[in-house]
Amino acid sequence: MSAPWVLDEDDALELLAYLVTAARTQVDEAAEYGPMRLLTAAHRLAEAMGPRATEATAEALDGPLSQMPLLAVPRGDREQYVEQLDGVCRSVAAHLKTKYAP
Amino acid sequence: MTDEPVAREQIETILDAVRWAPTAGNRHLQRFVATTDPGTLRVLRMVSPGMIAKPTAAIAVCVDHALVAEYGFPPENHGPWIDVGTATATLLLAAQAVGLGAGPVSSFSRAAVGVVLDLPEGWVAELVVCLGHPAPDQPRAIKPARLTWRDLTHWVP
Repeated sequence: MSAPWVLDEDDALELLAYLVTAARTQVDEAAEYGPMRLLTAAHRLAEAMGPRATEATAEALDGPLSQMPLLAVPRGDREQYVEQLDGVCRSVAAHLKTKYAP
Repeated sequence: MTDEPVAREQIETILDAVRWAPTAGNRHLQRFVATTDPGTLRVLRMVSPGMIAKPTAAIAVCVDHALVAEYGFPPENHGPWIDVGTATATLLLAAQAVGLGAGPVSSFSRAAVGVVLDLPEGWVAELVVCLGHPAPDQPRAIKPARLTWRDLTHWVP
């Protein structure tokens, strides 16, 4: 059985436009914006997926990723930033492991 | 920003204020493109990675490069971009004065925004100012530390 779609064409197009134009703007912008743009894309993807995702995935999306501030950059408290981002990575990995490699 | 529409009269008041912003030699090399169209705003946001807010109006501050060339400015001259700054500062103050929230965005694809806004040949958008009614909750600032004027100033002698 195939998994149900969690993005419609509008959601996917919006994200595609964001990614393509972010690739272009990043050529000229501060390097620290790179992770911020990727996380914004992740936030938008999570927001679009949330309503149609399985309960477990929706719960994972609502975890540490949703707590990551939208405008956070590594400048300033780099250690805290990395720690928080590692927390998001761990949370995503834990969900993936439970779902695909229990 | 909330989803409450911005009145066209408010935008016209802002644009009227912006024309008084100082420009080098009073040349007015900037042009403005305004929109409140939801579809245009949606697409504008799609091609503007720096646009976090969902504005209900926007004004693009453009440089008319045909006019710049006509005045004989060499391409590397910074004057036209400095004037984008003075126009934008005036725009932000005028927006505040009419009770709107405003936020400038420079992270967008110039090429894509040119298409979305149907910009005439030679016009390039340098800043897009998002406009809307301020929401009670705002995202945390990118760098919360506030510098004082003393941090920013060097006296001579």
